[in-house]
Amino acid sequence: MAWHPAMIAAIATLLLCQLLGEGIHLLSGLPLPGAVIGMFLLLGWLLLRPGERPTLVQVSAWLTAHLSVMFVPAAVGLIEEGPVLARNGVAIVVATLASTLLTMVVTALVFRWALTRTEPMA
Amino acid sequence: MTGAWHMLQGTPLFWLAVTLLVFEGADRLSNRSNRHPLCHPVLLATPVLIAILLATRTPYPLYAQNTAMLGFLLGPATVGLAVPLWRNRALVRRAAGPLLLALFAGSLTAIVSVTGIVWAFGGSAQILATVAPRSVTTPVAMALAQQLGGIPALAAVVVLIAGVFGAMIATPLLNALRIRDYRVRGFAAGVAAHGFGTARAFQVDELGGTFAGIGMALNAAMTALLLTLWAVL
Repeated sequence: MAWHPAMIAAIATLLLCQLLGEGIHLLSGLPLPGAVIGMFLLLGWLLLRPGERPTLVQVSAWLTAHLSVMFVPAAVGLIEEGPVLARNGVAIVVATLASTLLTMVVTALVFRWALTRTEPMA
Repeated sequence: MTGAWHMLQGTPLFWLAVTLLVFEGADRLSNRSNRHPLCHPVLLATPVLIAILLATRTPYPLYAQNTAMLGFLLGPATVGLAVPLWRNRALVRRAAGPLLLALFAGSLTAIVSVTGIVWAFGGSAQILATVAPRSVTTPVAMALAQQLGGIPALAAVVVLIAGVFGAMIATPLLNALRIRDYRVRGFAAGVAAHGFGTARAFQVDELGGTFAGIGMALNAAMTALLLTLWAVL
């Protein structure tokens, strides 16, 4: 990714949205995480202020592409969860696999059903 | 020698270097496997890093403190999920009704099924809060687990398992259901298996991948709203 002066503005935009989100989170006491509130704020801002934002697109795509490495330190935290895993490991794995399969089936079937009603013979 | 080791062991320099080196090695192996879901770099890197911590007798809080910079980036990355939604707003608008209906159904199914099964196994409230956000992208899942009183590290791994499995079953499952519309195929993969489903969908079809990305971002928002509602009630 080539460096571009507008990147500072893009990074500042992301951080400002998150900061406002954290502020709203703390003041409202809602369990909605600040970063998620920040995501809604950014979406609202982008929809209200039309225009192309190539640098913001580039910076957020770069962040999304590197999510994996960012949560490695958290995943290493499993080192402290041995007892919880021993007690609940099987239930968690079974529930996760079944739930993933069910979610995919339900989402696909509902979407297809609703599309055939709004786009007949598409 | 031991003096120097003790100095380095307490620095971000040392642990960031180790973490990135291990991850880079894992990423190359993953690349060589043609990005097979079971060879995901986090799946390969995490046990190696745990072994390094155990071998060097490093307490996890020391490691966590010195690699906090990486975790910090999860926040702005979450905010940035709004950008692909905004870029694809025309696609979203064209199928808005069916899309939102499927999103709501999928998100609710994910939460109810995973918590229901864990509850049937006798899982505690802490474990329920950990698995509830299992179908959303990792940073949001960890934040939600934290908010609801779950274990963020375990939530990250649950999300990882869902992603690996979802990416592996997407093609055969959607074929068995005779779903041919790539919008539907991609969206279902993104809602059920977040980033893994999205990466898999992009391997198959561009439109499918785009809809998977839309599904991932929308589901992060929908699951957060549903779980917030659940926590408040």
